[in-house]
Amino acid sequence: MAEIIDDELLVEQFRRGDESAFDKIVERYSAEVAALANRLLGWPGEVEDVAQEIFLAAFLGLKKFRCDCSLKSWLFTITINKCRTCRYKRLLRRRRFPQVTDKSSLSSGFAAQKSPMSTEDHNRIRSAVAALPAKYREPVVLKYLQELGTDEISRILGISKNTLHVRLSRARKRLEPDLAELIER
Amino acid sequence: MTENEIKKLLREADKTAGGHALVHVNLSAIRRRAGRRNMVILVAPLAAAAVLMVALSILALMFRTTEPTQEQEKIALLETQIKQLQARTDAALGFIHEVLDEERRQSRLNELEAQLASIPDPLEEVQKQVDKTAFILVYQADRLYRELNQTDSAVENYNRVIKLFPENQWAKVARQRLSEIENRKI
Repeated sequence: MAEIIDDELLVEQFRRGDESAFDKIVERYSAEVAALANRLLGWPGEVEDVAQEIFLAAFLGLKKFRCDCSLKSWLFTITINKCRTCRYKRLLRRRRFPQVTDKSSLSSGFAAQKSPMSTEDHNRIRSAVAALPAKYREPVVLKYLQELGTDEISRILGISKNTLHVRLSRARKRLEPDLAELIER
Repeated sequence: MTENEIKKLLREADKTAGGHALVHVNLSAIRRRAGRRNMVILVAPLAAAAVLMVALSILALMFRTTEPTQEQEKIALLETQIKQLQARTDAALGFIHEVLDEERRQSRLNELEAQLASIPDPLEEVQKQVDKTAFILVYQADRLYRELNQTDSAVENYNRVIKLFPENQWAKVARQRLSEIENRKI
């Protein structure tokens, strides 16, 4: 609760022309925003460009932010929109230049030694999640990786709770064939 | 396959990938870009308006340079035609005026001639009056001579007629009467 009040104060400060308030917002949420972007984009590792775009959009739109939801939810909504745009651009790039290898496909091994999971298994999970349509992938990321509540997720995605539950259920069904073998091990 | 199992797998994969990617947000770049964007937002309508104005000016100039020549030609042609028509109309009107004046003059002349025709000839009138006077004198002289037997007065009147109107027919009559009177005296 104190965090929310603090956020509102920062937003008010920014509205009154104190740009240092924005620095504090970036400092507070950049890690979470970057993590969400990283997960939504399929763990490419480097999400600086996207984060830059997200915070630019936040900077431009913060004066219009009406505090209907928490600042974190608002930033997550921007993150989701920017990630959708980024994925769409990536898709277009792949269609135009099919031989060019994407950064995201190369970065999978950079932290593999830190976890017991093999690169092969990791790539399998990545592929399974990446193969999900955006409307299923986003709830999965927000629910299982970002660990947000149902209310917050439905608010961020702009869907009802029922729709969210349906999408999560369908996403799990789609993931099952790819992930079942890994669980059995 | 339960929800928790999927969640566990996904979290492991996230951990393997280094879920919390390190990120450095360049705030000065954000401020710079935001400033640029705000500037664009501010300047774009002005620039669009300026471009529109320039385009409109160019269009106006184009229409002024191309269209007016055709229009001017048309106007000049129309002006010439109007002048020609005006000249023709003036000529026709002049002719009509002349004809009307001629008619008016003719009718006035006819009126005057009619008036002149109605006026009696003064010479004839005078002649008539002379005849009348001479006749009256002769008539009175005849009465004096024949009815009143005043021969002297009658002779005086006959002489007066001969004196006053020597060329008149009644002068001849007066002379006849005088000769008759002289013959009777003899």
